Amino acid sequence: MKTAQILSKAREEKRTVLTEIEAKQILGEAGINCTPTVLAESKEKAVSICDEIGYPVVLKVSSVDITHKSDAGGVKVNLQNREAVEKAYDDIMTSCRAYAPDANIEGVAVQGMAKIGTEIIMGMIKDASFGPVVMFGLGGVLVEVLKDVSFRIVPIEKADAEEMTSEIQGKKLLAGYRGNDPADVPYLQEMLVKLSDFVNATPGIEEIDMNPVFAYKEGAVVVDARIILSA
Amino acid sequence: MMDLFFKPKSIAVIGASGKPGKLGYVIVNNIKGSDFAGDVYPVNPKSDEILGYKVYTSLTEIPGDVELVITALPTPKLTVATVEECAQKGVKAIIIESAGFAEMGGDGKIYQQQIVDIAKKNNIRVMGPNCSGIVSRNIVTSIYPMTKKVPNGNVVLIGQSGLLAAGMASDIVENESLNISKVCSIGNKCDVNENDLLEYFGEEEGVDVISMYLETISDGRNLTRIAKKVAAKKPVIFLSGGRTEAGARAAMSHTGSIASNAKIVEAAVKQTGMIMADDFTELKDFAKVFSTQPLPKGNRIAVITLAGSVGVNVSDLCASHGLELPKLTEATTEKLKDMFDTPVSNPVDLYFSVTKIGFTKTLETTFPDAFRDDNIDAAVLILAGFEYTQEAVQKKIIQKIVQDVGKPVVVCMIVGYNKYKNVIMDEMGKEIPVFPSLISGVKALSKLCEYGIRRQKQSA
Repeated sequence: MKTAQILSKAREEKRTVLTEIEAKQILGEAGINCTPTVLAESKEKAVSICDEIGYPVVLKVSSVDITHKSDAGGVKVNLQNREAVEKAYDDIMTSCRAYAPDANIEGVAVQGMAKIGTEIIMGMIKDASFGPVVMFGLGGVLVEVLKDVSFRIVPIEKADAEEMTSEIQGKKLLAGYRGNDPADVPYLQEMLVKLSDFVNATPGIEEIDMNPVFAYKEGAVVVDARIILSA
Repeated sequence: MMDLFFKPKSIAVIGASGKPGKLGYVIVNNIKGSDFAGDVYPVNPKSDEILGYKVYTSLTEIPGDVELVITALPTPKLTVATVEECAQKGVKAIIIESAGFAEMGGDGKIYQQQIVDIAKKNNIRVMGPNCSGIVSRNIVTSIYPMTKKVPNGNVVLIGQSGLLAAGMASDIVENESLNISKVCSIGNKCDVNENDLLEYFGEEEGVDVISMYLETISDGRNLTRIAKKVAAKKPVIFLSGGRTEAGARAAMSHTGSIASNAKIVEAAVKQTGMIMADDFTELKDFAKVFSTQPLPKGNRIAVITLAGSVGVNVSDLCASHGLELPKLTEATTEKLKDMFDTPVSNPVDLYFSVTKIGFTKTLETTFPDAFRDDNIDAAVLILAGFEYTQEAVQKKIIQKIVQDVGKPVVVCMIVGYNKYKNVIMDEMGKEIPVFPSLISGVKALSKLCEYGIRRQKQSA
C-alpha cells in the first residue's frame, strides 16, 4: 500500500497511531531500509509466513490500541520453529487481551530476526515553533539514561547529518569499540537525510520513532518503527 | 516596509506630553535629541506646543503624510482607537510602546488581536506592543533618556523586553562600550518579529554584527531559514530564554519525550551558525569581539603574559573551550632568541624581554614577532592595571598590532590599581575587547574562532 493510501485510511478510521507494519511500509517507500514485516491475522497464517521467511523469527502484537507492546506481553523474539511460533501466538493473544480487553487486535506482525548491530535511535517530532525536527542518537540504555542525542531542524543537508552523528558523546561506539564492528556512519547519515526529506514532503506527521535501528559494518536496518499522525 | 521604522520622513507621537518625566515627554525629547530631520508631530488634545514642536489634537488633523506613528497611551482601548485612526490616515508603520496587552492575558489579549486585525486589513506593520521601539542615530523612541548621540556603529541589538533593551541602549550609548547603530525592542511581537528584523539587518550595509535576545521564538522554522542565510554573511549572536529541560513535552514517542525546547533551540543555533550567548553580558561582549576584531582562520592561540601561573590557567581554559596552544615555528624561535632566557614557548612569557627592553618596547616588538608566527591565529593578551602598562595603552600599541598583523586579540585583566585598570577597561575597552576575567575573554575568543572556522569552511 502506498504512503498516501495508508495515511488516508488512518484518517478515515480516525486514528493517529499507525501500526508497525504501516510505519515500516511508509518508511520503506521513503527509501529507509526496514526489516520485512508481514501481518498474520491467524496462527496458521503466522506459521506459513515463518516457514516462508525462515527461522528464527519475531512476533509482535499488531494493534493500534497497544502502543507499549512489550509491556502488554505482545513481543516474542528468537522463535526457532513452528511449535515456538504457535505457542508464542497464543501467549501474545492471551496476555494482550488481558492487558487491554477493549483493544482491537488485528493479528501479529511477523518479522525475521535482525542480526544484532550497533543500537541506534532515530526519530522525528514536530515542534510548535520550529516545525519538524529530526533526532539521532545511540539507542537502548544510552538513550534512556544519558539522552545522548542530537537534533536538527528539517530540512537537513548532508553536512547537518554529519554534524549530528559526530556530535553525540558516545560517537566512539560508532567507530567500533572493543572489537565490535564499526557502524556504517555514512549510511546512517543518508538515512537521516531521507527521513528529513520524507517529513519535509509529508505534512500531517507528528512523531516518528525508529528504535532500534541496527547499524552494521555495511548498511543498517530499522527493526521497530512507530509513526504518530497529527490529530 | 521595515525602512518606514528606521528611515521615516515624518513621525507622529500619540500621547506626547509637555511634562518632563512623562513617557510621552521622554519620547519626544529623545527624537529631538536624535539626528531625525523629518517632520515631528506630537499629538495631545490639551497642549499647543511641546519642546518647540506644534502639537495636534488628533492624528487626522495633521496636514501632511505621517510615515511612522509612536503611541504611548495609558489604556489598550485608546491604543486600539489610535490604530484605527492610523488606518484612516494611511499610516503604514506603528510602534506601540504601551503595555497591558497579550502579556496580561484576558482582555489585553483581545485588544492585541484587534490591533492585529486592523493592521492586517490595512497593510500596516506594527512593532510591539509592550516595547521601547528603536534607538538609533536617526530616531530614538526609547523610554529612557539618551545622554549622548547614538553612534553610527556596525552592531545592531534586537531585544524583546522593552525595559531591558532600553536600559542596555542607554548603558551602551553613555559608556560608549559598543559601537552600535541600532537597538530595537519588539515586545509582544504582535506583528514585527525577530525574523523581519534579522532579514532586514542581514541585508543592511554597514551592519556587521547582529546581537539578539528572545524570550519566545515566534516562528522557529523561519528563524532557522533566515538565520542560516544571514549568519553565512555576518555573525548573529543569540541569547534565548526558556532553555530549560522542563520544556520537554508529553509525547507518544521516545523522540518526543527527549526533544526539550532547550535541545531544539541549541540544534537550531548549531545548524544556522549563530553564536550562542549565555547571558546579557555575553551578548554585548561577543558583539564587541566580533565587531572590532578580524576573523581568525583557525583556533590556534598564543597566550601572551608576564606571569607564568596566569599562563597555565589560560592554557587550561583554552583547552576546555576548544582552543589550541601550538608551539611557535623554528623561525620565530630563532628570531626571538635574545628576548627569552629559554627558547620561546606558548604561553609566551614576556618577563625576560620586559626586563631587557622595557614593557612598552616589548609590546611593540616582541609581542608582534610572536603573534605573526604562522602557527598562530589569535592571541589572548594578559595586561595588568599598573603604571608600567599605561604608556603602551596610551600609544594604542595593541590596536595598531591587530591592524598590522590582521589577527584578533582579546585582552584580559585580572590585577591592578583601579585608577589604571579603569583606563584599560574604559578607554582601551572602547576600541578593543577587554575582559575582567580570563574565562570571559577565552570564551569570547573561542566563539570568534568557531565562527571564523565555519566561514573558512563555507568559502572553501
